[in-house]
Amino acid sequence: MTESIQPTTKLPRLRMFRDNPVTMKELRSRMRGRRAFVVLTIYLGVMSLLITLIYLAYASSSNQPYGPDPRQAGKVVFAAVVGVEVLLAIFIAPAFTAGAITGEKERQTFDLLRTTLLPANWFVMGKLQSALGYVLLLIVASIPLQSIAFLLGGLSWEELVVSQIIIVIAAVTFAIFGLFCSASLRSTLAASVATFGGAIFFTLGLPVIFLLMTGFLGPLFFTTSTLSWVAEAALAYGAFVLMAFNLPATLIASEVFLLEENTLFFFKQNFGGHQFWFFSPWLLFVVIYLLLARLFYWLTVRRVRRVAKS
Amino acid sequence: MATIIETQGLTKQYGDLTALNELDLQIEEGAVFGFIGPNGAGKTTTMRILTTLLRPTSGKAWVAGHSVTDDPRGVRRAIGYMPDFFGVYEDMKVWEYLDFFAACYEIPVNARSGMVDDLLALVDLQHKKEAYVESLSRGMKQRLCLARTLTHDPQVLILDEPASGLDPRARIEIRELLRELKNMGKTIFFSSHILSEVADVCTSIGIVEAGRLVAHGDMTEMKKQLRTHRLIQIRTLGDVTPLQEYLLTRPYIQSINGTADLELPPDTLRIDFSGDDAALSDLLAGLVGQGLPIIAFSEETGDLEDVFLQVTKGIVN
Repeated sequence: MTESIQPTTKLPRLRMFRDNPVTMKELRSRMRGRRAFVVLTIYLGVMSLLITLIYLAYASSSNQPYGPDPRQAGKVVFAAVVGVEVLLAIFIAPAFTAGAITGEKERQTFDLLRTTLLPANWFVMGKLQSALGYVLLLIVASIPLQSIAFLLGGLSWEELVVSQIIIVIAAVTFAIFGLFCSASLRSTLAASVATFGGAIFFTLGLPVIFLLMTGFLGPLFFTTSTLSWVAEAALAYGAFVLMAFNLPATLIASEVFLLEENTLFFFKQNFGGHQFWFFSPWLLFVVIYLLLARLFYWLTVRRVRRVAKS
Repeated sequence: MATIIETQGLTKQYGDLTALNELDLQIEEGAVFGFIGPNGAGKTTTMRILTTLLRPTSGKAWVAGHSVTDDPRGVRRAIGYMPDFFGVYEDMKVWEYLDFFAACYEIPVNARSGMVDDLLALVDLQHKKEAYVESLSRGMKQRLCLARTLTHDPQVLILDEPASGLDPRARIEIRELLRELKNMGKTIFFSSHILSEVADVCTSIGIVEAGRLVAHGDMTEMKKQLRTHRLIQIRTLGDVTPLQEYLLTRPYIQSINGTADLELPPDTLRIDFSGDDAALSDLLAGLVGQGLPIIAFSEETGDLEDVFLQVTKGIVN
C-alpha cells in the first residue's frame, strides 16, 4: 500500500466508499454460496425462538387475569432483541475484522497488495465496509422482529432510534478495534484474542473497575459528608463519562433517563443548590466511541502503510 | 539503452547479519536479467527492496527513475512483482482475481473486461476464466500470477523464483512466457538458483553470494569470461599410457584424470583444458598426427552450474 494516505491522483473521497475493490472482493467472497444465507437464517431463527420463549416466560409469570400487559411485553421483547444486537456489536463485528488483515498475511497476499497502487486507507476502509456490511445486514434483518414490540405497544420511536444508533456505532468501533489488532499482530489467533480481550475489557472490565473504585474510594468521600457540591458534580460527571465507555450501561442509563427524566438529549441535576446540565449518556457514548473509532482507524492505516524495516 | 534498474551501495542488515552488502547493479531497459545465487544469498532481500516492501539499511535504488525510498508510488506504478509464493484467495474465480488486482492498479472498470481476456489469452488460461483460483494446478497458478503482474502494463517485471517448484513442462511454459514478455519490450529481473533455467532466457546475469555481487554482465561475455576451463574426454583403444605421455607435452593442459578416476572407464582420460577452440583443434590434430588410436574426443557439456561453483568457490564459509 502506498506511502501517503492521499493518493497522488487525488481520488475523490467518495470513491473510497463506492468503488473500493477490497469491499467488492470481500463481499463477493462472503456472500457467495450458501454460507452467508445459512448464517442469516440461523440468526433470525434463533432470535425468533428467543423472543417467543421470552414472551411465553413473561406471559406465564404475569398474574394479570386477561393475560400479560402488552406494553410491558413489548418492552421485554425489545430488550431481548437489543440484547442480542449488543452481543452482535461486541463480539460478531470484531470477529469479522480480527482476521481481515492477518488473513492476508497468512495467505501471503498482503505483500501483493502492498506493491499495488491501492492506498492504505482504501485497504482498511474496504475491509471495514465489507465486515460491517454483513453485520448491518444482520441488524437490519432483525428490525421486523423488533417491530413486534411496536405491535405490542410500550415502545417509543426515540427508544428504537437511540438504541440502533448506539449499537451501530458500537459495532463500527469494535470492528475498527478488531482491524487495529489484525494490523498490529501476525496471526489471526493472536489478533482474535486481543480483540475479544479488548471488547470484554470495555464491556465487563470497566464496570468491575468502576464498582471496585466505588467500593474502595466511596467511603473516603461519602462517609465524611464533607464533600463539596463542586466535588459531587465532578464525581457525577466522571461517573457519566465512565458509563459512556460501556455499551450495556449506556443503553440502560439512556433508557432510564428517557423514561424517568423524559429527556432525549439533556437534563438538569442539582448539586448544593447549583444546577448542572448533563448530556444523556448515549450522546456521550456516541462522541467517545466515534473518537475511539477515528483513533483506531488512523492507527490501523499507519500500521498498514508502514514499510517493513526487517 | 537506458538504465532502468540501478542500485548504489545497497545494504541490508538484520542485526549482526548482513543480508546484502554494498550491492551495485545496473540493468538496461529491455534486458532479461537473471539474478543467480543459492538460498540465503540475498536475492529476495534485493527484490523486496526494489519492490518497496523493505527499507534498505543504507544505499540507494531506483526503478524506472523512481527512488524506492523517496517515490515508492512511482516505483509501484512501474513494476509488476511476483513473489516466490502464490497468494491464493479462496472463493475467487480466475477472472475476478485479475479484475481485483486491475482495480487495485486503478484500471478503469470499462477497460478491465477486455484486459482480463487479453491477459488470460497471453498466459493460455482462457478456458479457466470461470474456474476458482484454488482449483488451478501449480503451473497454472504461476501463469495466472504472471498475468497479474501485467494488469497495469508495467515497464519492469520483478519475478522471484518464477519456475520454483514447477514440473518440467510448466517450467518450459514459464520460460516461453518470459521470452514472449521480452519480445513485448518488458525488462525482466528474475531470480533463480537453477542456473540452467537462466541460461536460455537471460541477456545478462548477476551472481550473488553471501550478500555480495560476485559477477555481473552480459550473458555471452559471462560465459566466455568464466568458462576458462573446459573438460575434455578422450577415449583410446587399449592402453592410455602413450596418450597420457603425449598430453603431458602439450600446452593448455592443466591436469589429467586417468585410470585412477573411478568415474571414468579405464580406456578414457579427462583433461582440464584452458585453451580456446583453435588450441583444442590443434590438440586433436596432434593426437591424430601422432597415430594414437583415438576413438572419441568430446567436450563435457559443463553448464552454468560449473560456472557458478567456480565463481562462488571460497566465498561461502
